[in-house]
Amino acid sequence: MGPDVIDHRVIDRYVTDLGSRLRGSKRQVRDLLAETRDSLSDATEAHVESGLTEQEAQRRAVAEFGPVKEIANEYQAELAVAYGTRTLIWLAVVLPLLHMAWEFVRMLLIGPWQDFGTVPPQWYLFIAKANDLAGGVASGIALVALVLGRVLARTCDTRLLARLGAGVALGAVGMVLAGNLAIIAATAHLDPARLLQSVPMSVASLITWTVIVRLGLLARRCLSCATIVA
Amino acid sequence: MKPDALRGHLDALLLATLDGEQLHGYAIIEALQQLSGGALDLPTGTVYPALRRLERAGHVTSDWSTVGGRKRRTYRLTSAGQRALSAERTAWREFTTVIDGVLGGGGGWART
Repeated sequence: MGPDVIDHRVIDRYVTDLGSRLRGSKRQVRDLLAETRDSLSDATEAHVESGLTEQEAQRRAVAEFGPVKEIANEYQAELAVAYGTRTLIWLAVVLPLLHMAWEFVRMLLIGPWQDFGTVPPQWYLFIAKANDLAGGVASGIALVALVLGRVLARTCDTRLLARLGAGVALGAVGMVLAGNLAIIAATAHLDPARLLQSVPMSVASLITWTVIVRLGLLARRCLSCATIVA
Repeated sequence: MKPDALRGHLDALLLATLDGEQLHGYAIIEALQQLSGGALDLPTGTVYPALRRLERAGHVTSDWSTVGGRKRRTYRLTSAGQRALSAERTAWREFTTVIDGVLGGGGGWART
Protein backbone atom coordinates (compact mmCIF):
# COMPACT_ATOMS: atom_id res chain seq x y z
CA MET A 1 0.00 0.00 0.00
CA GLY A 2 1.61 3.30 -1.11
CA PRO A 3 1.88 6.34 1.13
CA ASP A 4 -0.65 8.31 -1.00
CA VAL A 5 -3.38 5.78 -0.19
CA ILE A 6 -2.56 5.96 3.52
CA ASP A 7 -2.59 9.77 3.37
CA HIS A 8 -5.97 9.93 1.72
CA ARG A 9 -7.36 7.74 4.45
CA VAL A 10 -6.53 10.24 7.20
CA ILE A 11 -8.86 12.90 5.80
CA ASP A 12 -11.37 10.37 4.43
CA ARG A 13 -11.71 8.71 7.83
CA TYR A 14 -12.26 12.05 9.55
CA VAL A 15 -14.85 13.24 7.01
CA THR A 16 -16.64 9.86 7.04
CA ASP A 17 -16.72 9.81 10.84
CA LEU A 18 -18.05 13.38 10.88
CA GLY A 19 -20.69 12.60 8.25
CA SER A 20 -21.90 9.50 10.13
CA ARG A 21 -22.71 11.67 13.17
CA LEU A 22 -24.76 14.29 11.30
CA ARG A 23 -28.52 14.39 10.67
CA GLY A 24 -30.35 16.98 8.59
CA SER A 25 -31.05 17.99 5.02
CA LYS A 26 -28.92 15.84 2.69
CA ARG A 27 -27.85 18.89 0.68
CA GLN A 28 -26.78 20.78 3.82
CA VAL A 29 -24.81 17.80 5.15
CA ARG A 30 -23.16 17.34 1.74
CA ASP A 31 -22.22 21.05 1.60
CA LEU A 32 -20.71 20.99 5.09
CA LEU A 33 -18.70 17.85 4.39
CA ALA A 34 -17.46 19.22 1.04
CA GLU A 35 -16.35 22.39 2.81
CA THR A 36 -14.64 20.34 5.52
CA ARG A 37 -12.77 18.25 2.95
CA ASP A 38 -11.68 21.43 1.10
CA SER A 39 -10.46 22.98 4.32
CA LEU A 40 -8.48 19.88 5.30
CA SER A 41 -6.94 19.66 1.82
CA ASP A 42 -5.95 23.35 1.92
CA ALA A 43 -4.42 22.97 5.37
CA THR A 44 -2.53 19.88 4.21
CA GLU A 45 -1.11 21.78 1.21
CA ALA A 46 -0.01 24.61 3.50
CA HIS A 47 1.72 22.19 5.89
CA VAL A 48 3.43 20.34 3.02
CA GLU A 49 4.74 23.70 1.75
CA SER A 50 6.13 24.38 5.20
CA GLY A 51 8.12 21.15 5.11
CA LEU A 52 5.97 18.31 6.51
CA THR A 53 5.45 15.06 4.66
CA GLU A 54 2.02 14.54 3.09
CA GLN A 55 0.99 12.15 5.84
CA GLU A 56 2.22 14.37 8.67
CA ALA A 57 0.52 17.33 7.01
CA GLN A 58 -2.85 15.57 6.84
CA ARG A 59 -2.57 14.44 10.45
CA ARG A 60 -1.74 18.00 11.52
CA ALA A 61 -4.65 19.38 9.46
CA VAL A 62 -7.11 16.95 11.08
CA ALA A 63 -5.76 17.68 14.57
CA GLU A 64 -6.08 21.43 14.02
CA PHE A 65 -9.64 21.04 12.73
CA GLY A 66 -10.72 19.78 16.14
CA PRO A 67 -11.97 16.59 17.88
CA VAL A 68 -14.58 15.04 15.61
CA LYS A 69 -17.20 14.73 18.38
CA GLU A 70 -16.89 18.39 19.35
CA ILE A 71 -17.01 19.61 15.75
CA ALA A 72 -19.91 17.27 14.91
CA ASN A 73 -21.93 18.70 17.80
CA GLU A 74 -21.41 22.25 16.51
CA TYR A 75 -22.25 21.22 12.94
CA GLN A 76 -25.33 19.31 14.14
CA ALA A 77 -26.70 22.35 15.95
CA GLU A 78 -26.45 24.38 12.73
CA LEU A 79 -28.01 21.56 10.69
CA ALA A 80 -30.88 21.34 13.18
CA VAL A 81 -31.57 25.07 12.98
CA ALA A 82 -31.44 24.92 9.17
CA TYR A 83 -33.89 22.00 9.14
CA GLY A 84 -36.17 23.81 11.56
CA THR A 85 -36.07 26.95 9.42
CA ARG A 86 -36.95 25.01 6.31
CA THR A 87 -39.84 23.26 8.07
CA LEU A 88 -41.21 26.53 9.45
CA ILE A 89 -41.11 28.04 5.94
CA TRP A 90 -43.05 25.03 4.67
CA LEU A 91 -45.62 25.45 7.44
CA ALA A 92 -45.96 29.20 6.87
CA VAL A 93 -46.59 28.70 3.15
CA VAL A 94 -48.42 25.36 2.94
CA LEU A 95 -50.96 25.67 5.77
CA PRO A 96 -52.80 28.75 4.39
CA LEU A 97 -52.61 27.29 0.85
CA LEU A 98 -54.05 24.00 2.14
CA HIS A 99 -56.97 25.78 3.75
CA MET A 100 -57.62 27.92 0.65
CA ALA A 101 -57.40 24.87 -1.64
CA TRP A 102 -59.80 22.96 0.59
CA GLU A 103 -62.34 25.80 0.58
CA PHE A 104 -61.97 26.23 -3.20
CA VAL A 105 -62.54 22.52 -3.87
CA ARG A 106 -65.45 22.47 -1.48
CA MET A 107 -67.13 25.44 -3.21
CA LEU A 108 -66.45 23.84 -6.61
CA LEU A 109 -67.80 20.40 -5.75
CA ILE A 110 -70.65 20.92 -3.33
CA GLY A 111 -71.13 24.67 -3.05
CA PRO A 112 -72.01 26.35 0.26
CA TRP A 113 -72.52 23.91 3.15
CA GLN A 114 -76.07 22.68 3.24
CA ASP A 115 -77.82 23.49 6.46
CA PHE A 116 -78.06 20.85 9.11
CA GLY A 117 -81.61 19.79 9.85
CA THR A 118 -81.56 22.12 12.81
CA VAL A 119 -79.25 25.01 13.67
CA PRO A 120 -75.95 23.47 14.86
CA PRO A 121 -75.23 23.98 18.55
CA GLN A 122 -72.85 26.72 19.66
CA TRP A 123 -70.09 24.26 20.55
CA TYR A 124 -70.11 22.92 16.97
CA LEU A 125 -69.94 26.41 15.46
CA PHE A 126 -67.05 27.22 17.82
CA ILE A 127 -65.12 24.12 16.71
CA ALA A 128 -65.82 24.88 13.04
CA LYS A 129 -64.59 28.45 13.45
CA ALA A 130 -61.50 27.33 15.40
CA ASN A 131 -60.67 24.78 12.72
CA ASP A 132 -61.04 27.45 10.01
CA LEU A 133 -58.60 29.68 11.89
CA ALA A 134 -56.11 26.99 12.94
CA GLY A 135 -54.16 26.91 9.66
CA GLY A 136 -53.82 30.70 9.51
CA VAL A 137 -52.82 30.98 13.18
CA ALA A 138 -50.27 28.14 12.88
CA SER A 139 -48.84 29.77 9.76
CA GLY A 140 -48.58 33.12 11.59
CA ILE A 141 -46.81 31.45 14.53
CA ALA A 142 -44.33 29.85 12.12
CA LEU A 143 -43.67 33.24 10.50
CA VAL A 144 -43.09 34.93 13.87
CA ALA A 145 -40.74 32.10 14.87
CA LEU A 146 -38.78 32.59 11.63
CA VAL A 147 -38.37 36.32 12.25
CA LEU A 148 -37.40 35.77 15.91
CA GLY A 149 -34.94 33.06 14.86
CA ARG A 150 -33.16 35.51 12.59
CA VAL A 151 -33.10 38.25 15.24
CA LEU A 152 -31.79 35.83 17.89
CA ALA A 153 -29.35 34.05 15.54
CA ARG A 154 -26.21 35.41 17.20
CA THR A 155 -27.39 35.85 20.77
CA CYS A 156 -29.33 32.64 21.45
CA ASP A 157 -27.55 29.31 21.90
CA THR A 158 -27.84 27.41 18.60
CA ARG A 159 -28.96 24.14 20.23
CA LEU A 160 -31.66 25.96 22.20
CA LEU A 161 -32.79 27.79 19.06
CA ALA A 162 -33.05 24.48 17.19
CA ARG A 163 -35.15 22.97 19.98
CA LEU A 164 -37.42 26.00 20.14
CA GLY A 165 -37.88 25.89 16.35
CA ALA A 166 -38.74 22.20 16.47
CA GLY A 167 -41.16 22.82 19.35
CA VAL A 168 -42.93 25.58 17.42
CA ALA A 169 -43.13 23.40 14.29
CA LEU A 170 -44.60 20.49 16.27
CA GLY A 171 -47.02 22.82 18.05
CA ALA A 172 -48.17 24.38 14.78
CA VAL A 173 -48.81 21.01 13.13
CA GLY A 174 -50.45 19.77 16.33
CA MET A 175 -52.82 22.73 16.28
CA VAL A 176 -53.94 21.99 12.70
CA LEU A 177 -54.19 18.28 13.46
CA ALA A 178 -56.30 18.93 16.55
CA GLY A 179 -58.58 21.29 14.58
CA ASN A 180 -59.17 18.71 11.86
CA LEU A 181 -59.73 15.87 14.32
CA ALA A 182 -62.10 18.00 16.37
CA ILE A 183 -64.29 18.96 13.41
CA ILE A 184 -64.43 15.35 12.19
CA ALA A 185 -65.36 14.11 15.66
CA ALA A 186 -67.94 16.88 16.09
CA THR A 187 -69.50 16.23 12.67
CA ALA A 188 -69.54 12.48 13.29
CA HIS A 189 -71.37 13.15 16.55
CA LEU A 190 -73.89 15.52 14.97
CA ASP A 191 -74.49 14.16 11.45
CA PRO A 192 -72.26 11.16 10.49
CA ALA A 193 -73.70 10.94 6.94
CA ARG A 194 -72.23 14.35 6.14
CA LEU A 195 -68.69 12.95 6.50
CA LEU A 196 -69.10 10.67 3.47
CA GLN A 197 -71.58 12.63 1.40
CA SER A 198 -69.24 13.13 -1.58
CA VAL A 199 -66.49 10.91 -2.98
CA PRO A 200 -64.49 13.85 -4.45
CA MET A 201 -64.61 15.59 -1.07
CA SER A 202 -63.41 12.41 0.61
CA VAL A 203 -60.48 12.37 -1.83
CA ALA A 204 -59.78 16.04 -1.04
CA SER A 205 -59.85 15.16 2.68
CA LEU A 206 -57.41 12.33 2.10
CA ILE A 207 -55.02 14.69 0.29
CA THR A 208 -55.34 17.21 3.12
CA TRP A 209 -54.53 14.54 5.70
CA THR A 210 -51.58 13.33 3.65
CA VAL A 211 -50.14 16.86 3.62
CA ILE A 212 -50.74 17.31 7.37
CA VAL A 213 -49.09 13.97 8.19
CA ARG A 214 -46.14 14.86 5.92
CA LEU A 215 -45.73 18.20 7.73
CA GLY A 216 -45.98 16.35 11.05
CA LEU A 217 -43.17 13.99 10.03
CA LEU A 218 -41.03 16.97 9.00
CA ALA A 219 -41.64 18.60 12.39
CA ARG A 220 -40.80 15.35 14.21
CA ARG A 221 -37.56 15.08 12.24
CA CYS A 222 -36.76 18.65 13.29
CA LEU A 223 -36.96 17.54 16.91
CA SER A 224 -34.74 14.50 16.34
CA CYS A 225 -32.18 16.70 14.53
CA ALA A 226 -32.28 19.17 17.42
CA THR A 227 -31.94 16.61 20.21
CA ILE A 228 -29.48 14.10 18.72
CA VAL A 229 -26.07 14.08 20.38
CA ALA A 230 -23.54 13.81 17.55
CA MET B 1 -4.62 32.63 23.21
CA LYS B 2 -6.98 30.01 24.71
CA PRO B 3 -9.99 28.84 22.69
CA ASP B 4 -12.50 29.62 25.47
CA ALA B 5 -11.34 33.25 25.60
CA LEU B 6 -11.80 33.51 21.84
CA ARG B 7 -15.19 31.89 21.41
CA GLY B 8 -17.13 34.93 22.60
CA HIS B 9 -15.33 37.10 20.05
CA LEU B 10 -15.28 34.70 17.13
CA ASP B 11 -18.23 36.33 15.34
CA ALA B 12 -16.61 39.77 15.50
CA LEU B 13 -13.23 38.38 14.36
CA LEU B 14 -14.85 36.68 11.38
CA LEU B 15 -16.74 39.85 10.43
CA ALA B 16 -13.47 41.82 10.61
CA THR B 17 -11.67 39.24 8.46
CA LEU B 18 -14.35 39.55 5.77
CA ASP B 19 -14.30 43.36 5.79
CA GLY B 20 -13.94 44.29 2.11
CA GLU B 21 -13.05 40.70 1.14
CA GLN B 22 -14.75 37.67 -0.36
CA LEU B 23 -13.01 34.60 1.04
CA HIS B 24 -13.49 30.83 1.27
CA GLY B 25 -13.31 29.05 4.61
CA TYR B 26 -9.64 28.18 4.72
CA ALA B 27 -8.64 31.64 3.44
CA ILE B 28 -10.61 33.08 6.40
CA ILE B 29 -8.73 30.77 8.80
CA GLU B 30 -5.38 31.78 7.27
CA ALA B 31 -6.28 35.48 7.43
CA LEU B 32 -7.29 35.11 11.11
CA GLN B 33 -3.97 33.44 11.91
CA GLN B 34 -1.95 36.03 9.99
CA LEU B 35 -3.78 39.02 11.50
CA SER B 36 -3.24 37.61 14.99
CA GLY B 37 0.42 36.74 14.36
CA GLY B 38 -0.47 33.07 14.92
CA ALA B 39 -1.77 33.73 18.44
CA LEU B 40 -5.33 32.53 17.75
CA ASP B 41 -5.45 28.91 18.84
CA LEU B 42 -8.94 27.72 17.95
CA PRO B 43 -10.03 24.40 16.40
CA THR B 44 -10.39 25.46 12.78
CA GLY B 45 -13.53 23.35 12.42
CA THR B 46 -15.43 25.76 14.69
CA VAL B 47 -15.13 28.50 12.06
CA TYR B 48 -17.64 26.84 9.71
CA PRO B 49 -20.61 26.63 12.13
CA ALA B 50 -19.81 30.23 13.15
CA LEU B 51 -19.98 31.31 9.49
CA ARG B 52 -23.38 29.56 9.17
CA ARG B 53 -24.56 31.37 12.29
CA LEU B 54 -23.52 34.72 10.80
CA GLU B 55 -25.28 33.76 7.58
CA ARG B 56 -28.49 32.99 9.51
CA ALA B 57 -28.25 36.38 11.16
CA GLY B 58 -28.03 37.98 7.71
CA HIS B 59 -24.53 39.38 8.38
CA VAL B 60 -22.77 37.18 5.84
CA THR B 61 -23.79 35.68 2.52
CA SER B 62 -22.17 32.75 0.72
CA ASP B 63 -21.97 31.32 -2.80
CA TRP B 64 -20.29 28.36 -4.38
CA SER B 65 -17.76 29.70 -6.86
CA THR B 66 -14.59 28.54 -8.58
CA VAL B 67 -11.42 29.71 -6.82
CA GLY B 68 -8.02 28.63 -8.19
CA GLY B 69 -9.68 25.99 -10.37
CA ARG B 70 -11.58 24.45 -7.42
CA LYS B 71 -15.21 24.88 -6.46
CA ARG B 72 -15.38 26.68 -3.10
CA ARG B 73 -18.00 28.17 -0.85
CA THR B 74 -17.01 31.82 -0.50
CA TYR B 75 -18.31 34.29 2.06
CA ARG B 76 -18.74 38.07 2.07
CA LEU B 77 -20.27 40.65 4.36
CA THR B 78 -23.78 41.97 3.73
CA SER B 79 -24.66 45.59 4.48
CA ALA B 80 -26.18 44.37 7.78
CA GLY B 81 -22.87 42.60 8.47
CA GLN B 82 -20.97 45.80 7.77
CA ARG B 83 -23.17 47.64 10.29
CA ALA B 84 -22.71 44.82 12.83
CA LEU B 85 -18.93 45.06 12.38
CA SER B 86 -18.99 48.82 13.00
CA ALA B 87 -21.03 48.24 16.16
CA GLU B 88 -18.61 45.50 17.30
CA ARG B 89 -15.62 47.82 16.75
CA THR B 90 -17.26 50.66 18.69
CA ALA B 91 -18.20 48.34 21.57
CA TRP B 92 -14.66 46.88 21.63
CA ARG B 93 -13.03 50.34 21.75
CA GLU B 94 -15.31 51.38 24.63
CA PHE B 95 -14.59 48.11 26.46
CA THR B 96 -10.80 48.34 26.07
CA THR B 97 -10.80 52.04 27.08
CA VAL B 98 -12.60 51.21 30.33
CA ILE B 99 -10.52 48.11 31.12
CA ASP B 100 -7.28 49.85 30.18
CA GLY B 101 -8.19 52.74 32.47
CA VAL B 102 -8.41 50.32 35.40
CA LEU B 103 -5.79 47.67 34.60
CA GLY B 104 -3.30 49.77 32.66
CA GLY B 105 -3.03 52.76 34.99
CA GLY B 106 -0.50 51.27 37.41
CA GLY B 107 -2.86 51.13 40.44
CA GLY B 108 -3.20 54.90 41.05
CA TRP B 109 -5.91 54.46 43.70
CA ALA B 110 -3.73 52.29 45.88
CA ARG B 111 -0.96 54.89 45.95
CA THR B 112 -2.96 58.04 46.71
